[in-house]
Amino acid sequence: MNFGLIRESLPEILQGLAFTMLMWLPGAVLAVAGGLAAAILRHYGGKVIDRILQWLLGIIRGTPFLVQIFLLYYGGPFIGLDLEAPTAGLIGISLYGTAYFAEIIRGGFAAVPRGHVEAASCVGLSRFQTLRRVLLPEVALLILPASVNMLIVLMKETAILSIITVPELTATITGIASLHFAYAEGAFMLALCYWVLTELTGRAGRLLELRLQRFRLA
Amino acid sequence: MNWPTFNLLLEGAVVTAGLSAVSVLCGLVLGIAICGASLARTRGPRLFASAYVSFFRGVPLLVQLLLLYHVLPRLGLDLPGIAAAAVGLTLCTAAYQAENLRGGFLNVPAGLIEAGRMVGMTARQIMVRIRAPIALRLTLPSVINEAILILKASSLVSVVGVADLTRTAQNIASSNFRPIETFATAGALYLVLNLAVTGGGDVLGRVLGRGR
Amino acid sequence: MTPAIRVEGLAKSYGDHRVLDGIDLRVQPGEVTCLIGPSGSGKSTLLRCLAFLEQHDEGLIEIGGQPLGFAPGPDGRRMRLPEAEIVRVRRGIGMVFQQFNLWPHRTALGNVAEALRFVLRMPRAAAEKQAMSYLDRVGLTDRAGHYPSELSGGQQQRVAIARALAMQPAIMLFDEPTSSLDPELTGEVLDVIRRLAADGMTMVIVTHEIGFAAQVAEHIVFLESGRIALEGTATEVFRRPWNPRLARFLETYLDRGASMLIVEE
Repeated sequence: MNFGLIRESLPEILQGLAFTMLMWLPGAVLAVAGGLAAAILRHYGGKVIDRILQWLLGIIRGTPFLVQIFLLYYGGPFIGLDLEAPTAGLIGISLYGTAYFAEIIRGGFAAVPRGHVEAASCVGLSRFQTLRRVLLPEVALLILPASVNMLIVLMKETAILSIITVPELTATITGIASLHFAYAEGAFMLALCYWVLTELTGRAGRLLELRLQRFRLA
Repeated sequence: MNWPTFNLLLEGAVVTAGLSAVSVLCGLVLGIAICGASLARTRGPRLFASAYVSFFRGVPLLVQLLLLYHVLPRLGLDLPGIAAAAVGLTLCTAAYQAENLRGGFLNVPAGLIEAGRMVGMTARQIMVRIRAPIALRLTLPSVINEAILILKASSLVSVVGVADLTRTAQNIASSNFRPIETFATAGALYLVLNLAVTGGGDVLGRVLGRGR
Repeated sequence: MTPAIRVEGLAKSYGDHRVLDGIDLRVQPGEVTCLIGPSGSGKSTLLRCLAFLEQHDEGLIEIGGQPLGFAPGPDGRRMRLPEAEIVRVRRGIGMVFQQFNLWPHRTALGNVAEALRFVLRMPRAAAEKQAMSYLDRVGLTDRAGHYPSELSGGQQQRVAIARALAMQPAIMLFDEPTSSLDPELTGEVLDVIRRLAADGMTMVIVTHEIGFAAQVAEHIVFLESGRIALEGTATEVFRRPWNPRLARFLETYLDRGASMLIVEE
């Protein structure tokens, strides 16, 4: 393992890492927002909207992320959407994440005990107040583990964006590796980087879960 | 979309389906082994299983495939692309299946195990005749889930040159300049494969469900 | 005097199953009514209909003289009342659930104060002060800052009672308030209910605690298969020899509660 090479390329590697974060974090935020909007629309928007969304989101969950990215990046120009690779990447991650978060949040809504909502209406809270003060906080707590998992999934999917030339971590390290014919070493380094990132995120998530235990049903 | 093009995509779909099926099944076998290690009484196997699962679930599949693609030749193993791809998918899915199986094992109701003990079964008998069958039955839905995930994840083998559905679509799109049509059709084929797996899973579930 | 609750010809079905059939009931202000009966007799459904948590299919419910949910329309057929009207009538009712249904992400104080702040629009400090007074009524001021996960079942149920009382309803409904509690915790909850009865609160209680019902209730309603099989004061209903249908039901309860039923006048 050529440590000198690693030290030299560190700035570039960090740039790649920053780009990964740029794809991952905003993408995740948009995905949660989108998933929440979709879940609420499906719940309150009537049967037709529910069906349409069910199909759309099902298609996104049922097809490979890579194919969706190709559609966005290579197919976009044909419908007037001439996207740069990072934009396409961000949109891709957001859409993909939305489809999954919509399911996660839907599951969260279903898991809130019906009695909590009944108690709210008995004591006079309006539907909107019940949503804001009872449902949403409880859903947030219930979906925490699944959301942390999904966050990690999204981070791993950002690696795929290297295929459409987004300069994130995978593209950066494989680029450096190919310049110096150190393919296997590069792949190892890459694996290590993601492994660390994933473990850290997982641990942070579990810590958060522990600290929020008192706000959940015994 | 004309028939010859669609036919090419169908061929790619067959490669995808075959590759996925092999990987899921081999992954199940490997997963059982790793799960066994994770439940072992000595620390060594447990640590190995834990590290294995953590690594193969924590590293993106793309990176795993790249790693395999570049490391295998160094180890003297010159496998054809599709075999390497199968190995890569198998190693990855084995980690997820091991975790699912572990969950299944730990969720075998304690009462059933105690009943076995009270009736005089040895630990080994309990494992083989109570815990394992029940754990497998509990885990069946998640194997079907894994199959669907592998089906989608297999699209990445296109990156290491395997002529799967995605690679075929890429080749076609770059020559006929109709990416939307091509990739949308490929996507539809993936959905069809998904439905087939889900349907098959339902049938399997019903057949095996008689013993509930 | 206008009855606190008047029910006429109430019926409810789930699909083909007729859960409630031809229920007529009157509850006077200040009166404690206990609904007893075997599982599936419809007593919880009846209570939930009174709270409009279930919608009755036939019949009329009046709370303090005001129709709840449905009223006879000008053409004689029943029509659904506007949402605002339903909410208004429901404000006179407080509900305590078998599963407590406290909101886990709020403290005991937070649970009680929630409606005061967001329905009555009281400022936070005033709401919390008033909430404390209700927690005091149920004897839990020292647990005000605790979350439900940190409270025992009996404490949670008492907080739930305080929460319902805080909106100052005219009527309190209890749906098997002690059924989810360990035996040693039911006493504290029953004590609170007894005190409320002594204070003159109009109450309808679905309960399995037959002994408690006999002691506290002025009016006992025995339901069987969706119909009122027996009704009257505790003395009337439990006078020996027992009505055979009641006897059949009570036989399953001859552990703690029923053996305390000595109705010798």
